[in-house]
Amino acid sequence: MTEFAIDPTSGPADGLAAVVALRRLADLLEDAEVERAMRSGWSWPQVAEALGVTRQAVHKKHAARLIAAGVDLRRR
Amino acid sequence: MVTRLAPDARTLFAAAEDEARASRSPLVEAEHLLLAMSSQHGTDAGDVLASVGLTHESIATALDSEFAASLTAAGVAIDVAALGRPSPEPPRRLRLGASFKAAMQRSVTAAAGSKQIRPAHLLLGVLGAQVGTVPRALELAGIDRSELVTRTEQSLAG
Repeated sequence: MTEFAIDPTSGPADGLAAVVALRRLADLLEDAEVERAMRSGWSWPQVAEALGVTRQAVHKKHAARLIAAGVDLRRR
Repeated sequence: MVTRLAPDARTLFAAAEDEARASRSPLVEAEHLLLAMSSQHGTDAGDVLASVGLTHESIATALDSEFAASLTAAGVAIDVAALGRPSPEPPRRLRLGASFKAAMQRSVTAAAGSKQIRPAHLLLGVLGAQVGTVPRALELAGIDRSELVTRTEQSLAG
């Protein structure tokens, strides 16, 4: 348990951590930008098309969070 | 097989979920458990972390540095603090990430023979990761993980 055989900051570990960081960055950006678009009056189909995903996917991922944040989503 | 969680270990789970929500993570990961432990003063895990100078603030700073360093490794130069901050997920149960589950499994192993899983067992589980976000952040914070493991084991023995 006290043996740490692999250096967590070596080349391969850095490369794999970069993948993790990029995924996290993409998630953060998506949350922020979808919120910005919906606060600007965009519709779900518009946001979905801009992201290249289905309307159902973007709605399922973001609707609850935006409703909780007080964004008015009626008739979109 | 030990399955019982000590009460202060149980409260760590809810606190870890709060940490995940605060950092806008869709999953509860091992680093959120570590952050939660650092705020739980007076518990074995909280005391061990404090004994090497790890506070909630210093861990959060180390995690931010790790994120920035890993983005740099990918060739991305972006000021993360300048990004728009999305609203948090509403209070509902977040799913557990792979690093959290792996830490839990190691904690159960570490607690074999004990009556309960204590916060310090959970800390051993978190520290048992050889690679990933937590060991990278601790390395950046200048923490000797082997020594931290030893201190945690001593805390459980004493």
